[in-house]
Amino acid sequence: MFATRLRLRDFRSYERTDVALGAGLTVVHGSNGAGKTNLLEALYFGCTGRSCRTSNEREVVRFDAATTRVEVDLRDADGRAHELAVGFTPGDAKRLQADGVLVDRLVDVEMRPLVCVFMPDRLELVKGPPALRRSHIDHVIAASWPARSATRRSYGRALAQRNALLAGIRSGRSSRDSLPAWDAELARHGIALRDDRAAAIELLAPRFSTLAGALGLGAGAELRYRPRSRAADAQQLAAELAQRTDSDLDRGFTGHGPHRDDLALLRDGRELRSYGSQGEQRLALLALLLAEREALAEARSTVPLMLLDDVMSELDPDRRAMLAELLRGAGQSVVTTTDLAHVPGAAGAGVTRLAVAGGAVLQDAAAAA
Amino acid sequence: MYAPPIQRLITELGKLPGVGARTAQRLAMHILRASPQDAAALAEAIREVKERIGLCEVCFNFADEPRCRICADERRDAGVICVVEEAGDVIPVERTHEFRGRYHVLGGALSPIDGVDPGDLKIGELYRRVSDPAEPIREVVLATNSTTTGEATALHIADTLRERSPDVVVTRLASGLPVGGDLEYADEVTLGKAFAGRRRL
Repeated sequence: MFATRLRLRDFRSYERTDVALGAGLTVVHGSNGAGKTNLLEALYFGCTGRSCRTSNEREVVRFDAATTRVEVDLRDADGRAHELAVGFTPGDAKRLQADGVLVDRLVDVEMRPLVCVFMPDRLELVKGPPALRRSHIDHVIAASWPARSATRRSYGRALAQRNALLAGIRSGRSSRDSLPAWDAELARHGIALRDDRAAAIELLAPRFSTLAGALGLGAGAELRYRPRSRAADAQQLAAELAQRTDSDLDRGFTGHGPHRDDLALLRDGRELRSYGSQGEQRLALLALLLAEREALAEARSTVPLMLLDDVMSELDPDRRAMLAELLRGAGQSVVTTTDLAHVPGAAGAGVTRLAVAGGAVLQDAAAAA
Repeated sequence: MYAPPIQRLITELGKLPGVGARTAQRLAMHILRASPQDAAALAEAIREVKERIGLCEVCFNFADEPRCRICADERRDAGVICVVEEAGDVIPVERTHEFRGRYHVLGGALSPIDGVDPGDLKIGELYRRVSDPAEPIREVVLATNSTTTGEATALHIADTLRERSPDVVVTRLASGLPVGGDLEYADEVTLGKAFAGRRRL
């Protein structure tokens, strides 16, 4: 499955644009502020119905316009054409269409391409607090095994209930009678969530080490799951929760369980989060996203679309070459850069080049033909 | 916009579940157009149901006498109790004609967020029923919803019954695929649960 065309109307800096994308690597180049990232964001928006840049989605509608619309043409493994469309007027529900049929969520659309996105501000995933990494790995779980996507929500609901009960007991409104039941219910979802995360990380870890090595992060790069609880089963986790009831009551919330897990990115046993340089953290994020692409390709038998914003600028020439080679290796990817020379091999055959200037895209004649 | 009595009717109808402002208006217009007899019959039905229907003294299902029809029915198996969250949950179980025991309506499910504790439900009444030597209970079927709150309620009751009445068998409804439903139309979470609970043939 890959995207063949992207059409947008009134999206960010673009009034109307229609671009053809390559089946392999597409390079979007142009000066600062030309609209490269907007194009990448539009592609993500068209494939998922969400923005990868902002939670205030009003921003994606072009200034002065009331409505934006993004259409993505796709071609599946059998060569059949499909179309996804997202229409959005701030304040109204989005109009999401798959092959012309209105759908509630694009996530449920089988022919939707999976998307992995690299943006400079996603470095927070490596540097930032564990909550970001937990939420990220849970997204990987949902993409790999759709049936398990409910576990995180169920756990969250049970956790909110247990915390509410702790608050009730603290204030003397509630008795402790039903606490064991909530411990058991929380533990049931907690063990499921932990096992899903362990399984996802088991898939990612070896790929992460290999890819990080290939990108020049050295041989000792490692992705490790740090679960809060090592309980063998739900009963044991419930017992662990019960042991901590008094300290939980002191604090007023549940201090144990998978909502306190972390995912560690290490090099030679040291956390990249604290000890890695900016460049190393960037490479770790790339290796993680590429590992996800491979793992998802295996779990869902379709290679996710890879979107990389301004990834080359901070890499040295050797690492640019390694990354370019990885991207050309398999699947579809779209890379933005200020300087075409920063993407080794960009001038070669089989690469689509899009020059962006002032909210317009100039299709590379040779590639579009 | 409307005369006060009409506005009042629209406001009251709008409080019904699933009725929005527009539907409330439509219903009000329908009642206005209806014959006086029809409108009076509706008003009388509402008044009568509130006057004559109470809760069964045994199981807390709706009843027009001290005991509901199921608890009063001598042919029902008094040794098995099916525990449900709401009185409305009795109907679907009854429709199966598979269950010949009696019911116990909790009046909700445990939900600390909404301030619902065991004391707010008819759980204590259930324990007293189960341990009442006059009518020995063999089995308690927990048919609370398969939501977080329903599951926690079932776990809480099962735990307590195991301690208080160790001889009583406590069972929980299975969850999985709807019968007669095509696999094709099952949502992935339900189907995933059905897979996890698959059994050997």
